[in-house]
Amino acid sequence: MRLFGDKKKDDLTIIVGCGRLGSSIANQLSANDVNVVVVDDNQDSFRRLSTSYGGLTFLGDATDIDILKELNMASANQVIVVTENDNVNIFVGQMAKVMFNVPKVIVRVYDNDRQPIYAKMGIETICPAELSAEAVNIILGGALECNYE
Amino acid sequence: MNKQVLIIGGKTQTKSLAESLLIKKYEVTVINEDYHFCKLLSEINGIEVIHGNGGKPYVLEDANVGEFDIAIAMNDSDADNLIIGELCKYYGVKKVIAVISDPKKTDFFYRMGIDSVVCATTAIAGILEQQAIMDELATIVPIGEGRIRLTEVTVPNDSPIIGETLAAIPFPKNVIIGCILRENGSIVPSGDTRIADNDTLLLITRKEDEGKAIKIITGR
Repeated sequence: MRLFGDKKKDDLTIIVGCGRLGSSIANQLSANDVNVVVVDDNQDSFRRLSTSYGGLTFLGDATDIDILKELNMASANQVIVVTENDNVNIFVGQMAKVMFNVPKVIVRVYDNDRQPIYAKMGIETICPAELSAEAVNIILGGALECNYE
Repeated sequence: MNKQVLIIGGKTQTKSLAESLLIKKYEVTVINEDYHFCKLLSEINGIEVIHGNGGKPYVLEDANVGEFDIAIAMNDSDADNLIIGELCKYYGVKKVIAVISDPKKTDFFYRMGIDSVVCATTAIAGILEQQAIMDELATIVPIGEGRIRLTEVTVPNDSPIIGETLAAIPFPKNVIIGCILRENGSIVPSGDTRIADNDTLLLITRKEDEGKAIKIITGR
């Protein structure tokens, strides 16, 4: 599976949070020869990475600006923020966008109530509940769509 | 009408802040996630208490957050405080203050539109440092985010500057003796004012020069 089209050797992707989603994206990107760095503040999380994972791991707190500098975030083409905490995700996403001018920032948020705020910040958010609802909708053949007739 | 202040999160500081704002005739509303703490706060006359997570837009909407003049986000997590601050700004609060624990984040918070950022850690560390190192000091008031300090120093009786005129004392450039408290009166000094034993000097200094100035006064 290709997540980001053509593979580029000089493409750097930083993934913040090595949970189920973070590790699975990291594994797939790494399998596609994309340069990946995964950040997590818990060493044990890195066990989720597959044995063939060829990217880097970085132990540290991603809300710390020094850590982000050390990671060379300014040179990243895309940053994917998928920790368990919505506020931390948004925080790191905004840092990436505002302080490091990362071109593409994707942030996972569980609670999509704050959508208008997120939209204003110019970061893309993905919400698992919405995606699941969409999938259900497809399986049910469009039963969840509004029907105004 | 009195100014309306909203305090979101926090514990002990929330209570004492709310109480002192009440005395100053502000109208205080508190949003807190801890039910028992909310109960405790609601015992205080005049505080409006809302039990809920201040990071949730519907809680803020219930509180009519747009009507407030000042919102203070004082949770333990810096990330929470930023998001709450941004939400408050989004709903139209005039002045948003965020408390942070990591001083390196200050610039970022300002860039995200927070009006005032208070770093609790540096403030407390600064006070502790002063208390630990220099017990001659009575009061220190940081001004301008701590860059300028107003310090009260009593001249010890073995000080090398007793009897000297102010002009003759080699203070660093960014140090001003604003006032001398002597016995029951106060003197606004000029260059030829002489320092006496037991004078209390009111210093206005840059943060970096404060230590040097105190060293000169105490001779230590």
